[in-house]
Amino acid sequence: MTLASKVAGELEELPPSAAVSLQVGVDYYLDAIRAIVDIYASKRDVDIIYVTSTISSQAILDILKALEIDSSKIFFVDCISHTMMGTAVQDSPALFVESPTMLENIMLKTEYLLRKKKSSEKLVLLDSVNSLAIHNTNYVLSEFMHIFVSSLRSKDVNTLILSVIEHTTPELNNIVNLVCDSIIRVVEEGTQ
Amino acid sequence: MLAMVDNEPTRERCRTGIDALDNILYGGIPLSNTILLTGSCGTGKTSLALEFLIHGALNGERSMFLSVTESSVKLLENVIPYDFFDRDLIDCKNLILVDLPVIYERLGLIKAELTMEEVGLLVHSIIDLVKELGVRRLVIDSITSVGYKLKTQEKIRSFILKISKGLSAVDCTSMLVSEVPPGTQAYSMFMVEEALSDGIILMGNMERRGDLLRTLQVIKMRGTMHSRAKYVLDLTPAGVLLVPLLKGGGGGTK
Repeated sequence: MTLASKVAGELEELPPSAAVSLQVGVDYYLDAIRAIVDIYASKRDVDIIYVTSTISSQAILDILKALEIDSSKIFFVDCISHTMMGTAVQDSPALFVESPTMLENIMLKTEYLLRKKKSSEKLVLLDSVNSLAIHNTNYVLSEFMHIFVSSLRSKDVNTLILSVIEHTTPELNNIVNLVCDSIIRVVEEGTQ
Repeated sequence: MLAMVDNEPTRERCRTGIDALDNILYGGIPLSNTILLTGSCGTGKTSLALEFLIHGALNGERSMFLSVTESSVKLLENVIPYDFFDRDLIDCKNLILVDLPVIYERLGLIKAELTMEEVGLLVHSIIDLVKELGVRRLVIDSITSVGYKLKTQEKIRSFILKISKGLSAVDCTSMLVSEVPPGTQAYSMFMVEEALSDGIILMGNMERRGDLLRTLQVIKMRGTMHSRAKYVLDLTPAGVLLVPLLKGGGGGTK
């Protein structure tokens, strides 16, 4: 069984409106993304709202294309392309937030996509808490997580919060764990 | 929606149709209130006011936009392409756009400054129009521009008092759009508008660490409990969306 299918198996068991902390080793980041997209967008007819503050939405789309994964059910809130200057594309399936410091705008763009997408099931993937922590204090990040996840929960939306184990401090773990129902760790031996 | 205290007598509401704002107002604007919608340029006042009217029109309430500075044709060209906007609303006259300068001209109010009698005449003609067409929601954009034609605080006070009384008598809920210079602490240009309005919705631009956020805050609203917190807003094709301002993000400057 591949790592991606193990992660997918874990995710399939999620109850409605659950918030899950997905902690991945740095070498398994792409496997985790692949598993999420594969299980949700391809097999379960779920709209994925992918909030990226790590790499640009275009780069993620390119990776998914290379892996031959259907990305038609993925809609991006891209908080990093504007900061990198000039990579925002007009025809892109992404909504752009000018900076990862504009946490309220991340909530607003996510809310907009939730309203627009009509699938009965929706998933919000936050990639990643580590990159948001570069631009925001723990205090405001904690406040954001609480409001964001509670709001998604009230709309019966599943939330996956991605963090990279090697880059995560205990304080950051506490912030994420406080709002999540469960933790999935993806390390060398597989999931834990 | 937030629940009112059980058994508390509540005023009938005019739901704005903007979900988050209706939640902030515990169900909507109390029916027939006159609200001052105030803020500096680029804060989203006209978009919010127009959305208020469109939702009303979609709900079968005849709604009227009285445009003072911008022609209604230009207004429609520049309006956000709302998903819920249907041009039929205008064709079937559920949404009526009127240029106030046309009314000025018809009434012969062509002088730079109106007399007190002419203020009365202007108010009467607007109220007559509201009555005749059965308008339930009215926006005047902007009361500041009307004020420039009235000049004195006394005449502006008279205009607002008469128009809010007249609109209230016919169960018309209204928004008076007010422009204030950026960075000002005031809610209006002539300093009388806020005292005479039943409610104040303040919209602003807040700069925080180089980011510019649009904000909304309900300062007062007679006839209902309401949140007084500051919210961040986004103008989208799905309408105005609001989320709470994160307190840990710092206050910023206007």
